[in-house]
Amino acid sequence: MLTMNNVSKIYQTNSVQTHALRDFSLTVNEGEFIAVTGPSGSGKTTFLNIAGLLEPFTSGQYTLDGVDIGGLSDNQTADLRNQKIGYIFQGFNLIPDLNLYENVEVPLRYRGIAAKERKIRIEQCLEQVGLASRAKHLPQQLSGGQQQRVAIARALAGKPRFLLADEPTGNLDSLMARQVMELLEEINKNGATIVMVTHDAELARRAPRNIQVVDGQLADFTLYQGKPTLAATRDNETVVASGV
Amino acid sequence: MFLHYIDLSWRSIKRTPVISFLMVFAIAIGIGLTMTSLSVYHMMSMDPIPHKSGNIFYPQLNIMDDGNEWHSSDNLPYQLTYQDAINLYNADIPVLKSPSFRSGFSVHLNSPEVKPTMEPARLVNREFFTIFDRPFVYGAPWSRDSQDTHEYVVVISEKINDRLFAGKNSVGQHIYLDNNSYRIVGVSANWEHHVKYYDVNNGAFNVAEQLYIPFSIAPLEEIGTWGNMNGWKHENSKGYQGLLASERVWIQFWAQLNTMQEKQQFGDYLISYMDDQREKGRFNREVLEFKLRNVTEWLEYNKVVSEDNRILVGLSFMFLLVCVSNILGLLLAKFLKRAPEVGVRRALGASKRHIFAQHIVEVSVIGLAGGLLGIAIAQLGLWGVRVTNSYYGALANMDVSMLLTAPIIALTASFLAGIYPAWLVCRTQPAIYLKSQ
Repeated sequence: MLTMNNVSKIYQTNSVQTHALRDFSLTVNEGEFIAVTGPSGSGKTTFLNIAGLLEPFTSGQYTLDGVDIGGLSDNQTADLRNQKIGYIFQGFNLIPDLNLYENVEVPLRYRGIAAKERKIRIEQCLEQVGLASRAKHLPQQLSGGQQQRVAIARALAGKPRFLLADEPTGNLDSLMARQVMELLEEINKNGATIVMVTHDAELARRAPRNIQVVDGQLADFTLYQGKPTLAATRDNETVVASGV
Repeated sequence: MFLHYIDLSWRSIKRTPVISFLMVFAIAIGIGLTMTSLSVYHMMSMDPIPHKSGNIFYPQLNIMDDGNEWHSSDNLPYQLTYQDAINLYNADIPVLKSPSFRSGFSVHLNSPEVKPTMEPARLVNREFFTIFDRPFVYGAPWSRDSQDTHEYVVVISEKINDRLFAGKNSVGQHIYLDNNSYRIVGVSANWEHHVKYYDVNNGAFNVAEQLYIPFSIAPLEEIGTWGNMNGWKHENSKGYQGLLASERVWIQFWAQLNTMQEKQQFGDYLISYMDDQREKGRFNREVLEFKLRNVTEWLEYNKVVSEDNRILVGLSFMFLLVCVSNILGLLLAKFLKRAPEVGVRRALGASKRHIFAQHIVEVSVIGLAGGLLGIAIAQLGLWGVRVTNSYYGALANMDVSMLLTAPIIALTASFLAGIYPAWLVCRTQPAIYLKSQ
């Protein structure tokens, strides 16, 4: 589904170079649910942005669903984002002027789906997150948890094969967070591949696979065989932080 | 998608009503001023008789002896002498032609019940009505017989017919011009021209004459001109008969020449006529000169649209440019403030093209609203011109082409203002804003 080989990302400002990702390599298989953890500033979000085609990488190779991302035009990456990827953000990122129905409709419009089909999908997705009755409400009329559910509905509406979630429960209380997590687990069971960045160790533990990013590098025994510096074992998988 | 963009534009305008109103108002003011000056310029410069302006010609003859100069750009007098006008009219050339000059009379019914009014009149030959396609409400031009026998006949305007005869068919009735009774043979439709192209010597934007009488009556009644009269040498001619035989120019002349061949023949005739006159002691010059200008060439030659008008139009467009630059600033502020939302849209699959189109549509909606408000402001401006300067009254109007041009200019102006902010916002990197929202 997703393969990154030695992907690096360098931010250049005047004379300062910041290595956000260094030789980052990772393979995510179809149907996986991966939790990405790591300290603040370690490069988790940069990884997620590159994985979601939201920003370009400096070097390396990235293949998404068989498509080599390097060298794609803006329109091609926009199409790929629209058709294959769904996003859930920490801050929900709902468009305040649009009601719930219209917010969920946004990616479908860019995909050129007909109005009738859009309506069916939107109603299904809002039903799935339990907000069908509030389709005409504006985002600010909802609680944080409800807004995040709308964001999930929006991400699901395009029937993406790849769902990226950046701290999806970061702005929610524990009860809301649990509900959102349950929703993501259900979505994963239905076949979507999910990569979730989180600071919440408890939530991370619920994901079948955990990886940790430290200093822009993946802490994974497959990369650092023979010289692990930190390891944790859970559910038959070993995740290693390099400590670089 | 276009309708969706319009919907988004409307929501955006409602979200920022003050800044949106400022932009609409800035475009409206720019368009209002531009369309006011452009409308006047357009009316001044438009072809007054487009279907035949290329076939109606005004002849100019260089009547002066060698060594004399005229105050025109090509040393040719603007008008003809009476004797040349009569000779050209009587020439055996089978084309429509007519001399004319402007005069005026006191018009009355020789009755104390109707107050006399002073009305401008034009002395013409019957062909004048055909050359200039003058439609008749009642009757027709006078006959050739009436013209040749100096019959006192008149064609009155619809306006005079309305005033004196309550709009009824007055053909056959008599009216008095000064002290003479004239039989009405026709009522011509009001001549609503913007430029009085058939006689720019006497004010290119004057209103049309209300009365037309045969040119042949002029010497009988010694009818004087209300227009310009110029000479190039000292003459001892006395009285009206002296004027008719003089070298003074005061008659306008038009000929309808439908083909290049007719024009060539008419030109050849003018040369042979001048040569003949030279043998009779006139046109004492080595090189005989004439010019035949069609209507549009004639208007251009007479600088009916002055340089001032062009400068005014240029200045108004510069003002519009200032408005555009102000709108550009406001749009930059408005669009860049929306970058986080654009980031979300980009993340959800919008291409740069989608974002650019969305913002250009919004700018166009603002431009269109500004254009419509601008038309209202332009109408106000034109009304101001009409009220303060009756001479330009007929010009201070917007015709359909100008009404259609206003939104186009507004859209172009708003597009110019919006293209950079829209381009800038469509280049938004989504990742920058998604985390920070």
